[in-house]
Amino acid sequence: MKVLIVSTLIYGLVQGATLMLTALGFSLTFGLSGVANFAHGGLYLLSGFLAWALVNRLGMPFPLAAAATVLLVALLGAAVYRLVLRPVRGITLSEVISTFALGVALIEGFRWRGFTTYDFSLPPFWPGEVEIAGVSVDRQRLAIVGAGFLLPLALWAFTHHTRVGLALRGMAQDETTALAMGIDSDWAATLSLSLGAGLAAVAAVLLLPLGIISINTGYEVLLVALAVTVLGGLESTAGMIVGSLLIGFAVVITGNFVGPHLSEVVYLGALVLVLGLKPSGLLGRSKEIEERV
Amino acid sequence: MRTTGALAAAVCTLMLAGASTAAEGDLTLGVPTALGTIEGQDSLRSAQLAAQEINAAGGVEVGGKKRRLEIVSIDTREAEAGIPVFDALAAMEKLIAEKKPVAIVVGAFRSEVLLSAMDMIAKVKIPYLCTIGMSPDFEKKIAGEYEKYKFNFRLGLSAPYLVGNLGHMLDSVKKKYGTDKVYFVHQDVAWAKGTVAGLSKVLAAGGWKVVGSDAYPTGARDFSSSLTKAKFGSAQVLVPVFDMPESGVLVKQVHSMKVPALVAGFISPAAPATAWATFSGDIDGLVNFLFEPGSIPLATPRSQHFTEAYAKAYGEAARNKLSGHGPGPSYDAVFVLADAIRRAGSTQADAVVAELEKTDTQGAIGKIVFNKTHQVIYGEDPTQAAVSLAFQWRAGKRRLVYPEAVAEGAFELPGK
Repeated sequence: MKVLIVSTLIYGLVQGATLMLTALGFSLTFGLSGVANFAHGGLYLLSGFLAWALVNRLGMPFPLAAAATVLLVALLGAAVYRLVLRPVRGITLSEVISTFALGVALIEGFRWRGFTTYDFSLPPFWPGEVEIAGVSVDRQRLAIVGAGFLLPLALWAFTHHTRVGLALRGMAQDETTALAMGIDSDWAATLSLSLGAGLAAVAAVLLLPLGIISINTGYEVLLVALAVTVLGGLESTAGMIVGSLLIGFAVVITGNFVGPHLSEVVYLGALVLVLGLKPSGLLGRSKEIEERV
Repeated sequence: MRTTGALAAAVCTLMLAGASTAAEGDLTLGVPTALGTIEGQDSLRSAQLAAQEINAAGGVEVGGKKRRLEIVSIDTREAEAGIPVFDALAAMEKLIAEKKPVAIVVGAFRSEVLLSAMDMIAKVKIPYLCTIGMSPDFEKKIAGEYEKYKFNFRLGLSAPYLVGNLGHMLDSVKKKYGTDKVYFVHQDVAWAKGTVAGLSKVLAAGGWKVVGSDAYPTGARDFSSSLTKAKFGSAQVLVPVFDMPESGVLVKQVHSMKVPALVAGFISPAAPATAWATFSGDIDGLVNFLFEPGSIPLATPRSQHFTEAYAKAYGEAARNKLSGHGPGPSYDAVFVLADAIRRAGSTQADAVVAELEKTDTQGAIGKIVFNKTHQVIYGEDPTQAAVSLAFQWRAGKRRLVYPEAVAEGAFELPGK
């Protein structure tokens, strides 16, 4: 029993960090620009295949390939805003449809080009295993836990203590006032899309080494990102962190003490329950503000 | 309503025309399957390879005239999330109406689609030789209403044979090493659940103790719950049953969590010859089941010829990635069908079905003989029946360990 409890703590933390990394880019982009980037899953999948190609076709060492992938996908995120989103900026439904279409095009494009074999895998950043209180865990998962907690902290510091970050937050809070202060709305949205896409790539190069890259991952990542972000509160990164941990531990506790086949029921049940009790999500305030207005 | 009726009549007319006029020119064989899957893609290629070989030899002799085979395919997308059975059937219906095939080969990927497709075949009355869908209800339907469903034949492994063969394989491990504690980890889908339910009964009857059994939803990426319980429940054999790409995580996690059990079951990403490189050797010691020979050929001339011809046609890399389910039976299906048409001297469905039932030949998957409910008989000796194979990954090589008639060596437990 002691081992099972330790295992629950370790893998609950890993699962929570995994969800956090998966949703971070989506949550950040929405929080800073109000754009729900439904191409998030497609960008995640693209990052995996791009990193694979850089390692296996160009012979790059994995850390270098991972860094190049993050940079290239971040640039692509900026291009997505300029080419796809800017023409429909402000029309929420059009933003959703255009990013969703882009995501589907990316995912199905890979399927069409035959990226369906079992050959695509990425090496871990940190190979090997360690034993914690009798439970063996690979170092890559520990790296995921580290990144899952450090990245949100770094982003919090960026958005609260740098001029660029403060400008982005200003734009998110009150666009008219931010414009009056000389902050360019397009520049802010481009940067937030770019950051979100880059974070999707970070998640991909950290999480995909755990298994192999498969096409449907693109859709699953988008669904997880949506669920976690909505659960935590759409505009709240802190809520996203709390939501990730809540779902992560709920899934692992269910798997260890009830049965893994119910893990999805628990995860979706938690989502319904939280939204029923608190419609803005765990730490979101949009509904309350709307009602007050 | 009137328009819908007219459309339905047009489709029916096209279907009937297809069934009756396909005797002109080339013989068209339809392949409606999930082409987005490795199994579907490889099976289509295998069927095309067989057709090319038959055409290169002059074609199929029908009533004194040599006729070429033409393969036409359509992607039913049935393995993709959110695609209903109805959509997959609509794709098959489209192919039948437009291309007028004289028969279908490969066929449905999912069992639900296969069972529904049997009803469509009962209407259009053309031979349907399926190689991927595994449901036991396929045979029950034929046994229940023979005249209606007699056009359906299956060359691929069925779920009951899978259970029997996996049971035999695990019993041979038990006999050699005295292992008797098993833990099942499987995908939460019909075929995997059915396989584990059947296997649990077979093993329990053979004196095995089932330490645990866990189902994971498709797409699951963390298997720590089962692996912790298997490790500390002293399971000696871990039996995974998955056909989802995400089961690659399980393979790596077994290694990283140092589970000291023999892993013996079915994990599709660990089946191809390229898997050793994909998993960086983390699969050492894993025993994987191949539903039919193909990815690894039998030592028979027919089986060897198939994989060599496949490599020649599609490249060595394609052969190394061959799926463990579908390609061998799909290749054989075209030859079996062509031979039945030749013997019948016609493409008339009843005559072809009668000849298909008399099939007795050696194929890439072993000896091909259909039972009374049109399922190819699977056994343990390729000279007597079709066979499934199991191999164990050792130092980068796939070494056959089951069945005994074709084994290249014995099972080795972890740490041996």
